[in-house]
Amino acid sequence: MRAPRGTGIVLLALFAAAPHALAGQEDAATAGKVVYDRWCAECHGETGQGDGSAAASMLPRPRDFAQALYQIRTTGSGQIPTDADIRFAIENGLPGTTMPGWPNLTDQEIDDVIVYLKSFSRFFAQGPAPEPLDFGSDPGGGPAAIEAGAAAYLTMLCEECHGLSGRGDGTSAPTLEDWRGLPIRAADLTEAWVFNGGSSVEDMHTRMLTGLDGTPMPSAIDAMNSGVVSPDEVWQLAHYLASFGPREMPPLREVIRVGRAEGGLPADGGEEAWVGVEAFHFPLSGQVVQLPRNFSPTVDGLWVQGLHDGNDVALRVQWNDPSNSPDPNWDEWQNKITAALDLDGAEAIALDSAGAPSVRPPDAVFLQFPFEMPEGTDRPYFLMGDAREPVYLWTWDSETGVGAGRGRGLDSVEPLAEDPVAGEATWEEGRWTLYVRRPIEVESEGLDFVEGTPTPIAFQAWDGSSAEVGKRSSVSTWYYILLEPPASSTVVVTPLLAMLLTGAFGLVLVRRAQDRRRDR
Amino acid sequence: MKRYLSHPFWQGAIVVVASYVAFEYVIGYVLPVIGVASAPVPSSVIVEYMLIVLVGVLLYMSADEERWQRFREPIRETMVQPDRRTLRGILMVAFPVLIGWLAYERVKPSYAAPATLRAVHPAPPNQLTFRGETIELTGLENPLREEGSMEEHLAVGKRIYVRNCVPCHGDLLDGQGHYAQAFNPVPADFTSSGNLPQLTESYVFWRIVKGGPGLPREGTPWDSAMPAWETILEQDEIWATILYLYDQTGFPPRTWEEEGEGGHE
Repeated sequence: MRAPRGTGIVLLALFAAAPHALAGQEDAATAGKVVYDRWCAECHGETGQGDGSAAASMLPRPRDFAQALYQIRTTGSGQIPTDADIRFAIENGLPGTTMPGWPNLTDQEIDDVIVYLKSFSRFFAQGPAPEPLDFGSDPGGGPAAIEAGAAAYLTMLCEECHGLSGRGDGTSAPTLEDWRGLPIRAADLTEAWVFNGGSSVEDMHTRMLTGLDGTPMPSAIDAMNSGVVSPDEVWQLAHYLASFGPREMPPLREVIRVGRAEGGLPADGGEEAWVGVEAFHFPLSGQVVQLPRNFSPTVDGLWVQGLHDGNDVALRVQWNDPSNSPDPNWDEWQNKITAALDLDGAEAIALDSAGAPSVRPPDAVFLQFPFEMPEGTDRPYFLMGDAREPVYLWTWDSETGVGAGRGRGLDSVEPLAEDPVAGEATWEEGRWTLYVRRPIEVESEGLDFVEGTPTPIAFQAWDGSSAEVGKRSSVSTWYYILLEPPASSTVVVTPLLAMLLTGAFGLVLVRRAQDRRRDR
Repeated sequence: MKRYLSHPFWQGAIVVVASYVAFEYVIGYVLPVIGVASAPVPSSVIVEYMLIVLVGVLLYMSADEERWQRFREPIRETMVQPDRRTLRGILMVAFPVLIGWLAYERVKPSYAAPATLRAVHPAPPNQLTFRGETIELTGLENPLREEGSMEEHLAVGKRIYVRNCVPCHGDLLDGQGHYAQAFNPVPADFTSSGNLPQLTESYVFWRIVKGGPGLPREGTPWDSAMPAWETILEQDEIWATILYLYDQTGFPPRTWEEEGEGGHE
């Protein structure tokens, strides 16, 4: 093991900052520095200011330990966290950010690194952290509690940032900044699996009482003390939030099953016609394969439903995007994102004399297929094909609508004007619903689906208001879509026949055995 | 109990049931729990294995006349004895239903993804071109091991890794980066003994330089989200990242001496 550099300096700093520190603390800080330098420093920076070499591609930025502003605490708003709070963040990570949990560290290593983290800020030297808040006890969930929580959601003005449906699309959402002045999203409350501090009712209640220091998320304590809400109502609010969606990311299923529509295909993406149609969730990642990369994408997943009637296939795709781009209300956000992120070589969108962006890119989603049903496992390159083997695209963007195209790479799409694909998209309360429909087989260039045969499918998404254009997108690798074949009589006949034959054979065997016995 | 264990029929039954449990559950689910690399056996293979077991049991039972008689006895008894009428009735219904269910499992429409066979470590080429420059891979060592300061190389490697590789391969180098779940195949786990220690540094260099698009067909290049890093990084940056990978995981690289003529699996 290499000797850690600068150990002496850190020790000196420790003495200066905390003259009463015990000798054991110094040893722990020294040991903690070894852990920190090995695993933490590249993001959080050598001096703990959240300015490591990788920080500029991250939003939110890594924690600045010198500020001692910790989001995930059990202590009151504006107070330093307990050691257990810091340990909670290290062990579990902060879902939805680039901070992972660290199961590779031993309990001792975590203890040591906590001592070292605290040495970055003078606030910890001024005494121990306050006791955790009294969180009271959960009066229980259920429909009545959820209804009361829904009222508290409005009383406490949650919808101003998080939106009426909780998708982070409130009217204030485009203006939100963290303590650094960097743009920050209001959490999408329908995606509990990316909550920074955990997704249980208790976790959410704790976050509401403590607030998320360094972000615009306030503590509910003031509202409780001034009688705006009761302690029970805050618990009920937590139960209401838990009703927004699943706690865990939906399990990945590789094949989208497109059932046969009884009584005609839906004519649009309206909810009524799609109730009960199985929905498949696909996580998306930033496009981090080709320059310029997107390390901080908006769209982190989408839902797909499908139906067909033997002639046409219709898909409904839904994804959360707090902005209906292009929208001038998000100009400031777009500018801040452009300024805050390392664009990895992408050209920043120029501003006009009034400081507004010269371009307001649209939102977009592409559905990608091979051009022909592939033989064997071969298929085009997942990033919109390449020069050798193109992909067949159903394209949609919020300016030009639905179309088809031939992709030969991320920045090479040629429209297919003859293609009969049609559809539309609507945006409501932070969610796009895209409806596309096309004949299963086409005379123009394009993929003919084959019922019962899994066809590769992949996805791309852009949020224009976050300056996502060109290669700065969200992507997936290949999955499958399968059009249910017509009901076949063999599914019923074969098992019946097998049962009859077996039964008859059994009868004959038994009869013969019994006859033989009698004969004897 | 002992009566059953010494009876050929029940011995046969136990062997058949135990074999099924072993194929279906032990190989697929118990072995991974105790740390042995394994995966569930496909159902078609289980059917084949079970047929072999069944034939084996029947062969063994019929090899000896007396054993064969004893083996058949409970079956015959069940078919003919009046006091076994109820059991007989149950079996006469249950057996056809079982066969019918098996037949249904065979013919019911399948919505599973087609099986894809993917070579995780396909054979590397003998040479590659890095932005037009030809580099011989055979016998190639990491040049940074012989020059400069190892401490500085590792610092460069770590900087490159955290900036570029973490989103997929993760801070812990375990293939669990925050984007890992969006990709299929999943990013390589460098903490697995099946990866870095099995590979020479030149092999890792090839996989980084050419990425997914540079894989041969058996590596399913169309699926891999691994960038061709020659478009983004310099050669020395890649070699430094390789040093960091081995240093941070504590694995030694495979060396050319050990490898001989064999090449990679």
